[in-house]
Amino acid sequence: MALTEASREACATALDTLLARCDGVTAAMLAFRDGRPYVDRVRKAPMQGKFAAMSSSLVALGQSILREVQGGTLDHVLVEGNGGKFVVASIPGSGGLLVIAVLANHDARLGLVLGHAKTCALAVSAAIA
Amino acid sequence: MSGSESYKLLFIGEPGAGKTTCIESLSDIAPLVTDVRCTDELARLKENTTVAFDYGELSLGDQGRLLLYGLPGQSRFRFMFDVVRENLLGVIVLVDAASSLALDGLRETLDAYESAIRELPCVVALNKNGKPPSALLEGCEALLRERGMVAPILVADARRREELVRMFDLLFMMIENGVDPKTPTGEATWH
Ligand SMILES: Nc1nc2c(ncn2[C@@H]2O[C@H](COP(=O)(O)OP(=O)(O)OP(=O)(O)O)[C@@H](O)[C@H]2O)c(=O)[nH]1
Ligand SMILES: [Mg+2]
Repeated sequence: MALTEASREACATALDTLLARCDGVTAAMLAFRDGRPYVDRVRKAPMQGKFAAMSSSLVALGQSILREVQGGTLDHVLVEGNGGKFVVASIPGSGGLLVIAVLANHDARLGLVLGHAKTCALAVSAAIA
Repeated sequence: MSGSESYKLLFIGEPGAGKTTCIESLSDIAPLVTDVRCTDELARLKENTTVAFDYGELSLGDQGRLLLYGLPGQSRFRFMFDVVRENLLGVIVLVDAASSLALDGLRETLDAYESAIRELPCVVALNKNGKPPSALLEGCEALLRERGMVAPILVADARRREELVRMFDLLFMMIENGVDPKTPTGEATWH
């Protein structure tokens, strides 16, 4: 797997599509599994280095918890407050190289956010294959 | 100390200094390890790096339990300190004494955590080199002194439990004797 300039652009396009299609999503980013930012698309709040690091921590902790409880492989980690939602997931097929993080308003429909995040993750997976 | 008490200790230090190794050596439960394969130049030095925190426990018999937390080394994970900071009893700062950049690593760690660890009993442990050069010891002392911090510096192999336990003896001695990290009285150096 090689992360070329073309794959970075295709990843950015996948994030743009997510932001355009899913009401309430305010930011989305791809980060490396060890917490460095790769590509981000922001509608509102700034989402940079700290979010990349936090996203990789959440994915790692999610996977650790599932290992402890024999819960299988991680689908996503959801953090939900009364002011917003934050979803992180590992990009399938990237050998765990990248994680996706999506930030949404509190009134965004959770099912839609998860569905669009998954579609985006598959697009990213295809872009870097 | 009583048998039901637990005491929380934190390991910090540059990437590769040996924080995860310490907790794996010390823990008597299967430790929580949140390492992933490195994706940057750190991969030239080591395969994996911690991205959330390490966690282990060490029984002190009827004196209670030590809860051992290890943070990631990169300062981008500084936020993780706020996750574990509650009720910390002491901090162990690890240094990769085999690296030519050991002092840069310690400086970066102290810059990131100085305000947070200033009030806590602290030990500096030089790892990966049983005979660190005196220039390194002096450099570590100078970095602490510049910040008005007091901490004993010792040499310990992170893979050897019996060597690590000495750090705890030192830390508890500091705590019991009321060493106040805010008033520098000159560093004690054990090695
Ligand atoms: N020779 C030698 N190697 C050591 C020693 N301690 C740790 N190592 C090795 O050094 C490497 C780094 O150790 P880690 O424990 O992963 O370092 P860390 O501080 O947790 O690193 P990050 O999680 O990336 O911040 C591992 O490959 C260890 O086996 C030591 O005392 N001597
Ligand atoms: Mg580690």
